[in-house]
Amino acid sequence: MYNFLQIRLSAFLLDVNTVGSYIPVALQVLIVVGLIGFLLWATHMLGPKRKTSDKLEVFSSGIGSHGEARQPMAIKYFLVAILFVLFDVEVIFFYPYAVNIKGLGWHGFYAVLMFVGFFLCGFIYILKKGALKWED
Amino acid sequence: MNALLISAVMGVLMMFSSFMLKSKSAVRNVALAGMFLILVANILDTYGWHLFNIPTEGMMHFDRFSLFFNSIAFACTFIFFLLSARDMEKVGINYAEYFSLIFFILCGIVLVASFQSLLILFLGIEIISIPLYILTGSDKRNLKSNEASLKYFLLGSFSTGIMLMGITLLYGHAGSFDITVLIKAGEKPSSLAIAGLLMLLFAMAFKVSAAPFHFWTPDVYDGAPTVFTSFMATIVKAAAFIGFMRLFSTAFYSLHDQWQMVIAIITALTLLIGNITAVFQQSIKRMLAYSSISQAGFMMLALFALNGTATEGLFLYVAAYSLATIGVFAVLIKMKDYTFEGFNGFARHHPFLAAVNTVFLLSLAGIPLTAGFLAKFYMLKAAVEAGGFLWLVIFAVLMAAVSVYYYFRVIQAMYFKEGDAPVSMEVSRPFQWVLGVLAFLIILLGVFPNALLYWFYF
Amino acid sequence: MENILALAWLVPLLPFLGFVVIGLGRKYFSKNITGILGSGVVLVSFIFSLILFFDVRNGITGDGIVHYFNFIKVANISIPFEFQVDALSSLFLLIITGVGFLIHVYSVAYMHEEKKEHFGRYFAYLNLFIFFMLLLVMGANYVVMFMGWEGVGLCSYLLIGFWFKNNDFNYAARKAFIMNRIGDLAFLIAVFWIISIVGNANFSDVFEFARLKEFTATDITVITLLLFIGATGKSAQIPLYTWLPDAMAGPTPVSALIHAATMVTAGIYMIARSNILFSMAHHTQTVIMVIGTATALLAASIALRQNDIKKVLAYSTVSQLGYMFIALGTGAYVAAVFHVMTHAFFKALLFLGSGSVIHAMGGEQDIRKMGGLRKKMPVTYWTFLLGCIAIAGVPPLSGFFSKDAILLSAFEHNRIIYAAALFGALLTAFYMFRLCFITFNGKFRGTAEQEHHLHESPATMTIPLIILAALSVLGGWVGIPELIMNGGDHLSTFLSPVIALAKDGHGVSHSTEWMLMGLSTGLVLIMIYFAWNRYGRYKEEKETAVGKILANKWYVDEIYNKIIVNPVSKLGSWLEEGMEKTGIDAFVNNVGRGVNYLSRHFRYLQSGQVGSYILLMVLSILLFFAYQFFIK
Repeated sequence: MYNFLQIRLSAFLLDVNTVGSYIPVALQVLIVVGLIGFLLWATHMLGPKRKTSDKLEVFSSGIGSHGEARQPMAIKYFLVAILFVLFDVEVIFFYPYAVNIKGLGWHGFYAVLMFVGFFLCGFIYILKKGALKWED
Repeated sequence: MNALLISAVMGVLMMFSSFMLKSKSAVRNVALAGMFLILVANILDTYGWHLFNIPTEGMMHFDRFSLFFNSIAFACTFIFFLLSARDMEKVGINYAEYFSLIFFILCGIVLVASFQSLLILFLGIEIISIPLYILTGSDKRNLKSNEASLKYFLLGSFSTGIMLMGITLLYGHAGSFDITVLIKAGEKPSSLAIAGLLMLLFAMAFKVSAAPFHFWTPDVYDGAPTVFTSFMATIVKAAAFIGFMRLFSTAFYSLHDQWQMVIAIITALTLLIGNITAVFQQSIKRMLAYSSISQAGFMMLALFALNGTATEGLFLYVAAYSLATIGVFAVLIKMKDYTFEGFNGFARHHPFLAAVNTVFLLSLAGIPLTAGFLAKFYMLKAAVEAGGFLWLVIFAVLMAAVSVYYYFRVIQAMYFKEGDAPVSMEVSRPFQWVLGVLAFLIILLGVFPNALLYWFYF
Repeated sequence: MENILALAWLVPLLPFLGFVVIGLGRKYFSKNITGILGSGVVLVSFIFSLILFFDVRNGITGDGIVHYFNFIKVANISIPFEFQVDALSSLFLLIITGVGFLIHVYSVAYMHEEKKEHFGRYFAYLNLFIFFMLLLVMGANYVVMFMGWEGVGLCSYLLIGFWFKNNDFNYAARKAFIMNRIGDLAFLIAVFWIISIVGNANFSDVFEFARLKEFTATDITVITLLLFIGATGKSAQIPLYTWLPDAMAGPTPVSALIHAATMVTAGIYMIARSNILFSMAHHTQTVIMVIGTATALLAASIALRQNDIKKVLAYSTVSQLGYMFIALGTGAYVAAVFHVMTHAFFKALLFLGSGSVIHAMGGEQDIRKMGGLRKKMPVTYWTFLLGCIAIAGVPPLSGFFSKDAILLSAFEHNRIIYAAALFGALLTAFYMFRLCFITFNGKFRGTAEQEHHLHESPATMTIPLIILAALSVLGGWVGIPELIMNGGDHLSTFLSPVIALAKDGHGVSHSTEWMLMGLSTGLVLIMIYFAWNRYGRYKEEKETAVGKILANKWYVDEIYNKIIVNPVSKLGSWLEEGMEKTGIDAFVNNVGRGVNYLSRHFRYLQSGQVGSYILLMVLSILLFFAYQFFIK
């Protein structure tokens, strides 16, 4: 009986084309969510609670907060931020390449070289356009 | 493949020329030369001269259909550059970048015309759309332009979402992105496949501005700088239609009877809303936006029919519509006042421009001896051959009759009303020459449609 | 052979080029250049026509069909653009370009007082006419023929209304056009009919089809009748003849070329070309014969009492065309073509002569105000006299032979027709000599100023007159009967590939033939004497009841007005007032209003709010899904 179950189950789990193959993932998700929920709940229940007004203040590197967060800011911050994200995301493409560097061989190397080349073009462009120039 | 790579490189090149070339005319000449190069490279590609040999791994397929359309699109863009490149200077300071964005759009157009995988279709559509959002908002100090850009972006994102959902469902059904294996012949399609198909249909209908997904069109076309409206109303829309056609004729042909009724309803709605609403417009630019919706309705007939006549007809229609619309817009850009009154007495002050403009409008209205007539004829013929939906054909003819009203209002204003038709810019002689050639082409295609269609086969 | 036929396209093309060049340059070319250019292209055409003619005569052109391109190709029907240069068409080519050339030359002097651009316009039209006429004659199928047919109608219209500042002339032009259109419609229906049965309109195929007797009797009768109605329009037969006398409003050379020598014979050409069809349709032949006889007599009777020199000639033309139709109706196609040729010579001569007279009289056309011109204009007089003798049918001038051939054919066919035709011939002799004597004999009856101004016309006008006179005298010898000269009758031999002889040999004996010739000649001479007696010295004609009817042309125009024109225009005004304004216009306007109303409301869908757009899109997506999955 046990033997039979084991065979059925393993067949069920190993067949990648059925919903069944997602069961381990689902189990893992359940465990993770359960664990986090349990820990939060447990600390909340078990830990001591002392509330003061200082404790409820916004904490920022030890400097007292003042004014509102919604202030107009120079657009340059956004520009730089967006450019940063852009290049950051592009760098992410190196990871899959790094993993497969041997398998892809010279062909892959040229492809990445081309990618870097385009990448560089964009960089030169924003540099020349003055997007990174802080003072006007 | 030639054209795809060269236009990508041209896009980058134009970016660089924005800070490397000082004079605007140099930028313009580089762009024109590049455009010409792309056109030639594509024609070489058509006849077996592949400059690059890169395996596409079944993601793309450069067949006669796509290469022929590319040639039409590039030729139209080349004419568009010749006519309107000078007018782009007026839009804003980033002159070279506008060209750069247009070259990137052309990359997207090549992808959309030659995809074989739904991923490439999606990529192509996005590569077309995102530069368009920017071009729409390129007149930065104009509130209408900004508004149009934002609206376009929001609604475009909505349609992108629908398209992705559709692709996902189809992948769920077939386990592949390859359009040649999506639906197996003779198989009864699952609800998953039908739902995915419909979502792709809606997303593509959005891109070609077919009702009831057309709402963005009038606002965006009206708000965008007129030069770019000209580009996106013609070449981009044509590309979306070609992608639409490619997708449905390759992937979903076997499910013809599943979606035919939906397309018929969409076609009828598009024709109705486009034509009827255009009647009451006061601004010619906005009227042309609605006219582009109504012309889309006619092109939808090709998708409805999906037969040999439809394919030929769509090419002819795309060429006829693009050439005529580019011409009308090129004249419109020169005007100070975009309302119908702005054209009063135009014929007296600019007889040549009025004459060629009349040819363009006649072609749009589908009057015989112009390309527009034969294009419409091919569409109707295809729909009749498809059979069973005669009401749609009759309705299309009636709506074409309505369209005559608003096109002829312009002609009437030009020829039969008194006024001084103020022109905001000088009209150069080469510009008139190009317009003359354009009008000649339209009449040529109206008399010998095979002058174009011949190249599809040989 | 190939090379020779390859020249064929040049024949019509040259006049067309002339038309384009003169038409475009009419404001820049001097009159001399225009004249030389206009006449020159026709002369070159004539030379090519001569070459073609002799090649055809030597029999080295085969069937003479030259293919150029496919003109119309739809489904199973293909209409090629082909020329056919055979005996019949090459003969007509000679007449058209030859007489045409003479008239062009004549026109240079005749139209000299026109302004430069009008002079150019005149020659452009004239060249265009020659082009279309050549197209008509050279076409190898009914469609190309029809193109020429319509084209000559157009040119006729343009040239009748050449002096368009005079409204009466415009009305005359319009009348000619409309009358022609009635006939053209019948012709067109006939062509469609043929195409629907045979599958194409090539002469060779249609006639082969007919030769194999594949037409039903009804088909062939209807087709030939329709073709004949077409011919009555163009060739001015009852009931569509009334436009031709009015067409005299145009310049006199035009009357000579278009309304006497060439265009009006297009109908005869067409029937002669289709002789195989007509020979098979006996009912139609009877109709043609009767109509031809009636027209010949009616027009001749009217000509007796006309006082306008050109009107007399116009009615004479109608009458002579009637003779040609008698010939066609009795199956004597060769005689008809023969008469077309001789008629082209002497009628062109007479018209040009009358033009010379009108030119000298400063535009006066009323013969009662002329008289005694013989001394002042000897060349015109003598040539005109020769023309009169020729048309009257006095041997051995050309008219005698051709008319005699027709009379002979009529005699063989039907004695009543013969009697009527003979009577018509006598009338012809009478009114022609009446015209001649009143105009040239007696005393001058015009104003003193006109008398002072009288002069012989310049050489460019008299030389064509002399050439045409020579042709009128000698032209009959090509068709001289076997009876008189052994080995004569070249024309029948020449035309035999195209026109199959209806009968073998003659149905009458030689003695009868001699007797008939003698009879007609004798009677004609008596008539001439009679006319000389009556009009040798001019006196006022008495008012008689019959005379009044004749002077008023049997009131045909008035009758047409009463029974056709007025009811039609009444119907037209009713349709305009009643039907169009309250019916169709109202309907159309309401449709427009409805669309406008819809448009005003559809506009509100476009609210400008992104939220509402998305809402509408989502709603419609849901509806489509609901339809696809639940309703369908």
